[in-house]
Amino acid sequence: MSANANGRSERFDVIIVGAGPAGSAAALLCARAGLKVLLIERGEYPGAKNVSGAVFYGSAIVDALIPNWWEQAPVERHVCRRDLVLMSPTTAVSLDFRSAAPGYVAPPYNAFTILRPKFDRWFAAQAEAAGAFLLTSTVVDDLLWEGSRVVGVKVRRDEGEVRGDVVIACDGVNSWLARKAGLQRELETHELALGVKEVIGLDEAVIRQRFHLNGEEGMALEYLGAVTEEVHGGAFLYTNKTSLSLGVIAQLSSLVEHKKRPYDLLETFKAHPAVAPLVRGGTLREYSAHLIPEAGWKMIPDLYTDGMMVAGDAAGFCLSTGIYIEGINYAMQSGLAAAEVAIDACRRRDFSRSVLRLYLDALRRRNVLTDFQAYRHAPSFVNGERLQNLYPELAALASEALFRVDGNRKQKLLPLYWRSLRKVGGKPSHVLRDLYQVTRAYLW
Amino acid sequence: MRIAVCLSCLPDPETVEVDPLTGAIDAGRTLYVLNPADAAALELALRLRSDDGTVRAVTIGPDEAETVLRDALAVGADAVLRVWEDQRTATRPAATSLLLAAALSTEGLPDLILCGARSLAGGSGKVPALLAERLGWPVVTDVLSFELSDGRARFVRRLARGARSEGEVTLPAVLAVEAGSAPLRYAGLPGLMAAKRAEIPVRHLPDLGLAPMDLAFPSATAEAAMPPYPRPREIFIPDSASAPHERVAQILSAGVAQKAGRIIDGSPEELADAILAFLGEHGLLEEPA
Repeated sequence: MSANANGRSERFDVIIVGAGPAGSAAALLCARAGLKVLLIERGEYPGAKNVSGAVFYGSAIVDALIPNWWEQAPVERHVCRRDLVLMSPTTAVSLDFRSAAPGYVAPPYNAFTILRPKFDRWFAAQAEAAGAFLLTSTVVDDLLWEGSRVVGVKVRRDEGEVRGDVVIACDGVNSWLARKAGLQRELETHELALGVKEVIGLDEAVIRQRFHLNGEEGMALEYLGAVTEEVHGGAFLYTNKTSLSLGVIAQLSSLVEHKKRPYDLLETFKAHPAVAPLVRGGTLREYSAHLIPEAGWKMIPDLYTDGMMVAGDAAGFCLSTGIYIEGINYAMQSGLAAAEVAIDACRRRDFSRSVLRLYLDALRRRNVLTDFQAYRHAPSFVNGERLQNLYPELAALASEALFRVDGNRKQKLLPLYWRSLRKVGGKPSHVLRDLYQVTRAYLW
Repeated sequence: MRIAVCLSCLPDPETVEVDPLTGAIDAGRTLYVLNPADAAALELALRLRSDDGTVRAVTIGPDEAETVLRDALAVGADAVLRVWEDQRTATRPAATSLLLAAALSTEGLPDLILCGARSLAGGSGKVPALLAERLGWPVVTDVLSFELSDGRARFVRRLARGARSEGEVTLPAVLAVEAGSAPLRYAGLPGLMAAKRAEIPVRHLPDLGLAPMDLAFPSATAEAAMPPYPRPREIFIPDSASAPHERVAQILSAGVAQKAGRIIDGSPEELADAILAFLGEHGLLEEPA
């Protein structure tokens, strides 16, 4: 058949595996540069396999590609409220941030809540409109090699070999391709977290009222402490237009160690006195689970080899520091960085290591590697026993004591915290050590 | 052998999300897929295609319906055609079958037409029969499998409760294939890529010599659907004339009255008379003249 003959000789400048934020961003940029781009997605449509919450902090990145993108993209709410909540089983102590400063309540917005199945589909469509060739429902099984150089991919279909000058692997956490290429090692369970998420449908007016929001304003809450019981992790709750995205993120190794089921943790979270009133009366719309690369700097693989680069979650570009849990923006930045290098390599007709090495510079220029390097100590600190359980408990206990008026003599703050610390079984020497860790991880 | 396959496109039930407030379907998420029975028809057509034979896929539907034609091209259909009138949002079986008949006649009638037995969306299963009627061809519904030989199709049909019937029909004919009779093959990479790039030809009403009025059929419209009304259950009420303890006993017996027999004594003749009298009283015996 003639169609087959056409297909076999098909050859692309760039093959991008995975149409998530990293892949679609890379495809968009490459296609705009006039390259012949193949974007391969295993889901029925881009976003079908995506799970993230999500708050998207990369508004400015997309704005540079598509000005005022939020006017045409399926966004939910722009984030103007953020809460960091420390929890004990009965109490929640929160740091509430709300701003009416530019960027929070007026365009250009700083961050949006999005539903990934919709957003990813839209973003990939932009790449397609720019000329990228999107192939869905197609799994990439292997890389094609010529000596030590990657020269294409093999997909799980008849006659499934496609050749391309550069392969950009954006195939997500646990990247099959990065491992096939020998760039990434087998990941350890403490480097991965399992996120379980629910989307709970709720009336628009109820959401505005419950979270004190006007119009399209949105809120992002992040939780630390007893929500995950003794398992290391945290929880989140984001407001969408007519639903809430909420979930628990639990470190894989400690899930195994404590023999906890992630969906039990999610139920515990939803039943917490500080969370239950927020989700009351909602109807479950979606349930999903996904792995999250959490170890930051320490799990970043070799990012390139001859003819291939790795971007997005596949490269471990998910920054989880307690203050930030960001992945989509870094995924996009790394996708764009890889695209820049691919364009450059195509111009030079040189796809060897020596040219693709520029990817590292591009990543630094786009503040990806620099951020991960700066926060390289944060993940181990965030997943530390004391930060996970002791300090939230301490904050809750001390606040309970602070605000309790029962006729007893009032205590000043230091003795009050001291006694609370003793009560939760903490040692002052540990506190000092952690203070040092905090400053090292966050302050300079 | 030229085979035409009629395909219909429907929203993938797994992707349909209904807004709880407005009841509207969230179009941003909906995927359009090939009706399962039509996929089976397409697969059977591809298996039967001889070396010099062709398989042509036709669909009646809006732009979204192109996806099913691309699916058909990807697995190896030789030609595709979409028919639509842009102002429409949907067609009923009467109009669908008319458009199919017109399109197939205009493009050159095939030797065999395969349809899915029924759509997952509408499910009336009328289109194959109406199409056959418009072409003046025989139709076989609920086909599970069939073989072709000498201008005839030997088929196995599904009957109720797992029964099967076998038969033969002369071609040209319309065969309506049951979902699941043959899983559609997985498209190869080159076919998929070529299909994605292919230009899908479209015909509108004037191309088929039709006017919008031709599609305006008088039709019965369902205004409401009601669940079956449950039959009222009779509640046992004790006889108010009887004594209280009897009424209590009646209630406790849950309305089950004891079988009351009557025992009669006497000579055989007397007993025979009594039985005859009893049967007569209850109208079970015709009075002897």
